[in-house]
Amino acid sequence: MFDVWKNVLEEMKHKVSHEKFLTYLQETTLEGVEDGVAKIGVKNIFMSINVKKNFNKEIIKALNNNGVEVKSAEYIVKDSGNKVKKSREVISRDEILKTTERKSKPTRIIENNPIRSSLSTGLIPEFNFDNFVVGTNNDVAVYTAKMVVKDPGGKRNPFFLYGKSGVGKTHLVQAIGNELLKQNPKLKVLYVPINRFYSDFIDALKANKPEAFTKKYYNLDVLIVDDFQMIIGKDKSQDEFFNLFNEMYLSKRQIIVTCDRLPDEIKDLDVRLSSRLTQSGAYDIQLPSFEDKCAILQSKAEFDGVEIEREAIEYIAENVKTNVRDLNSEYEKLIAFAELRGMSPLQIISSGYTNTSSSLHKNTTTPKKIISTVAKYYEMPVSTMLSKSRVAHIKNARQVAMYLMQNELGLSTTKTAHELGMKDHTTVMNGVRRINSEMKMNFKLREEIGTLRETIYE
Amino acid sequence: MEINVDQSKLAKALAVVSKVATNGKTTLPILNNVLIRVLDSKVTLTTTNLDMAVVDYLPTSKSKNGEITVPARLLADFVANLPKGEVKITTSDMKITTSSGKYKSTMNGSDASDFPELPELNEEKSVIYKIPVEDFKEGMSAVKICASNDTTRPALTGVYFNTADGALFVAATDGYRLAEKKLISEVSSEVKAIVPANTISEVLSSLSEEVEEVEILFDEAEVCFRMGEIEITSKYIDGSFPDYRKLIPEKVDVSLTLKKADILRVTKLAALFAREVGGSIILETSSAEGVLKVSSVANEFGENTSEIETEVSGDAKVILNSRYLLDALNALSEEELKLGISGSLQPVKIENNKNTDYIHIVMPLKG
Repeated sequence: MFDVWKNVLEEMKHKVSHEKFLTYLQETTLEGVEDGVAKIGVKNIFMSINVKKNFNKEIIKALNNNGVEVKSAEYIVKDSGNKVKKSREVISRDEILKTTERKSKPTRIIENNPIRSSLSTGLIPEFNFDNFVVGTNNDVAVYTAKMVVKDPGGKRNPFFLYGKSGVGKTHLVQAIGNELLKQNPKLKVLYVPINRFYSDFIDALKANKPEAFTKKYYNLDVLIVDDFQMIIGKDKSQDEFFNLFNEMYLSKRQIIVTCDRLPDEIKDLDVRLSSRLTQSGAYDIQLPSFEDKCAILQSKAEFDGVEIEREAIEYIAENVKTNVRDLNSEYEKLIAFAELRGMSPLQIISSGYTNTSSSLHKNTTTPKKIISTVAKYYEMPVSTMLSKSRVAHIKNARQVAMYLMQNELGLSTTKTAHELGMKDHTTVMNGVRRINSEMKMNFKLREEIGTLRETIYE
Repeated sequence: MEINVDQSKLAKALAVVSKVATNGKTTLPILNNVLIRVLDSKVTLTTTNLDMAVVDYLPTSKSKNGEITVPARLLADFVANLPKGEVKITTSDMKITTSSGKYKSTMNGSDASDFPELPELNEEKSVIYKIPVEDFKEGMSAVKICASNDTTRPALTGVYFNTADGALFVAATDGYRLAEKKLISEVSSEVKAIVPANTISEVLSSLSEEVEEVEILFDEAEVCFRMGEIEITSKYIDGSFPDYRKLIPEKVDVSLTLKKADILRVTKLAALFAREVGGSIILETSSAEGVLKVSSVANEFGENTSEIETEVSGDAKVILNSRYLLDALNALSEEELKLGISGSLQPVKIENNKNTDYIHIVMPLKG
C-alpha cells in the first residue's frame, strides 16, 4: 500500500506545480481502500477540502494507473483526539465514555461522583466481571457474586457485601447488575446509593406524591443498595427500606447491599433489619495484598494499552497501603506524569515527581515490626509466638506472621524462616499454605489479617 | 469588482487578516494573499495559512460583485498609510486599483479560484459556547502562557478545551508548568478539543473594543471563534492531552497567603542574580521565624536573599525557575495569592486567594 502511494505521489509531482505539491500532497498517506473507495489521510480539515477540490480526479486516475481500482476517494483527517458532543441529554452514556481519551477515565469520573453518572438503572457498563481482578482478598465474594448472577433471588438472597472504602465493592455489585441485565435485558435493575434512596423517599413525602417513589422502587426485580452504613439515624427511611426489603425478599427478588461494616456494627440499626441483611451470609472484600495489587495494576495497564515497567508496578503496589481506589489514582497520576514529561513511568518514579498523595506517605514495615504487631494483636509475648509451641492459637499467630511477611514484604520462605528463628523453611511453606486455605472459609481470620495488614504499617 | 469603503475600517480589517496570511513563509504564493470577495453588497476579506483562516466582514457604501486575491501585507500597509476618508477599490484583468483622493496604487493580483477553499462549519452539529469578552481574554491569556513551543509533542502546543463535572475548562502545559482555568461554570454539552495556541493568540489579538462576546463553535473537524465582524476558523491539534487533573496536588504541605506585590518584588530581585544559573531561585519557608525566604544561588555576580513575613505552617524548600514563577504571578488577578509548597520535588501550586477558578502549577527544578 505504501509503495503504491509513493508511486501515485511521484506521478502527481509531474502533474501539479512544485509549490502545490509541497503544500497539499507531500504529507498525504493512503490509509486504505474499501469497496472501491480510497481513504486518503490528510493533515487537517483545510487540507481535506482543498486536496479534494484540486486533485481528486488526478489522484483517482493515478491510483488506477498503479493497479488500485477505485471509483472515488475520501479525504480523512488522521484521527484527531478531539471530540465534540452536542448535548449530554441526547446521546447515550456509551458515547460520552467513548469520547474520553483514555479508557481508564470513566472509572475515575464514576468514583468521584456516582450519582451524576447514573442512567435509569444507575449501572455503569464499564463495571463488569471481566475487568474485576480476583485475588485472595476477594475471591469468595466474587464467587458468590457469580452465584447471584446464576440464580437471582435464590439461595444468596440477600447478598450482603462489606469491606473498607475503596476496595471495589461498588465495582463488584455493579458487575452483578450489568451481567444480570446482559442475560435478561427486560429485568428491572436499580443501583442506588442509600443516600439517594433516602432523598427520593423524603422528596416523595414532601411533595406528597408517594406514587413516584413506589413506582421507582416497588416494581424492581433487582435492587442494589450501596453504602448502606449511611442509613444511620434515618429512622423513617429505615422503616421504608425494611418494608421494601421484606416485600422483595418474600417475592424472591434479589437484593444486594454493600456496607463498610457488618450490620450489627451500625449504630441504631433496627435489629430485625440487621439480622435479615445477613441471613444468607456476609461476604467481605479485604484490602489487597502486594501480589493482588500488582495483578490489579497489571490488568489495568493492559486494559489501557499503557506500557509500564514491572518495577514501576511493584513500586506503586508497595507504596500505596490504603485501598484500590488510591492505588488506581496513584497509577493514573503516574501515567499522566509520564505522558506529560514524555518519560517512562519508571523514570518518573526515579525522578521523584510522583509522591504527591497522602496514600504514598505511609510508613513501610519490617519483619520485626510484623512479628511484634502480630504478637501484640494476639495478646502474647513475642517469645511465646516464636516458640515451637504447637498450641493452636500460638501456632496460628506464628503462621499469620509468616503469611504477612511473604505477602506484604515479598520475603522468600527461607528468609521468612530465618526472621522467625526457624531452621526449616518447609514449616513456613506449610504455614502460609494453611493460612491461604483457611482464609477462604474463616471470616474471622480474614478480618484479623485485614486489620493486621493496616496496623503493621502504622 | 468594485467597492467603496471607509479607510479606517478597511485598514483595521486588513491589519487583522494580513497577520494570518503567510507573508512569504510558505511555498504556495497564494497563501500570502488576501481574498477580497464582493457579493450582493457584502465584502469579505479572507486569509489562510491552511492551519487557520480569518474572515472579516466589511460594510460598503457602493459595490459591484466580483473577487480577486492580492498580497495581503502590501495592501494592508498601503491602506494603513492612506488619509481618513473613502477608499475605492476596483479590479480589471487581475489588477487591483486602490485609490483615495490623490493617492492611487495598482497591484498585480491573482485568480480567486486558486485560493484555498475553507471548511464550512455545520452549526447544527456544533457545540456552541458564548463567553463575555473579558472572561475570555483573562482566561485565555492566563492559560496560554503555559503552552509549549516544542513541536515534537504537538498536543502540548495547544490549549485544551474540556468539559468536566458540567463546567468548561481550558488548560495548557509544557511539561514544566501547567495552568487551568474554569471558563464557564455551567455547560450542558461535552467537549474535548486541543486548539493550537497560535490560533488563540490570533483570536486574542483580533479582539476589538466593540466586541462584547466571543462565540466559540466546536465542529467535528474545526473550531470557529466569532467576535463581531471577525471569524477565525482553525484546525484542531491531533493527539491526546495528558490527564492533567491528576497532576494538580490535592493537598499541599505548606500553604502561604501572600501579597502579590511582595512576592513579585522578591522574585524579580532574586531573578536578577539567577541569570547565570538558568533563572533558578530558592523558596524556603521557616515556621519558627514566620518567613518565606526567596534567594538566588550564589555565583560570580554575588547572591541575593529577601524575606517576606507571613504566617507559615511548616518548613519547606523548593527550587523554581524564576521566569515560570513570574509568569504564574502575573497571570493572577487578585492582590493576594496562595502559594502551596510540598517538598523539594513536588509541584508548587499558585492560586488567587479568593477565586479558585484559576490554578497554576510549576514543577520544581532539582537542587
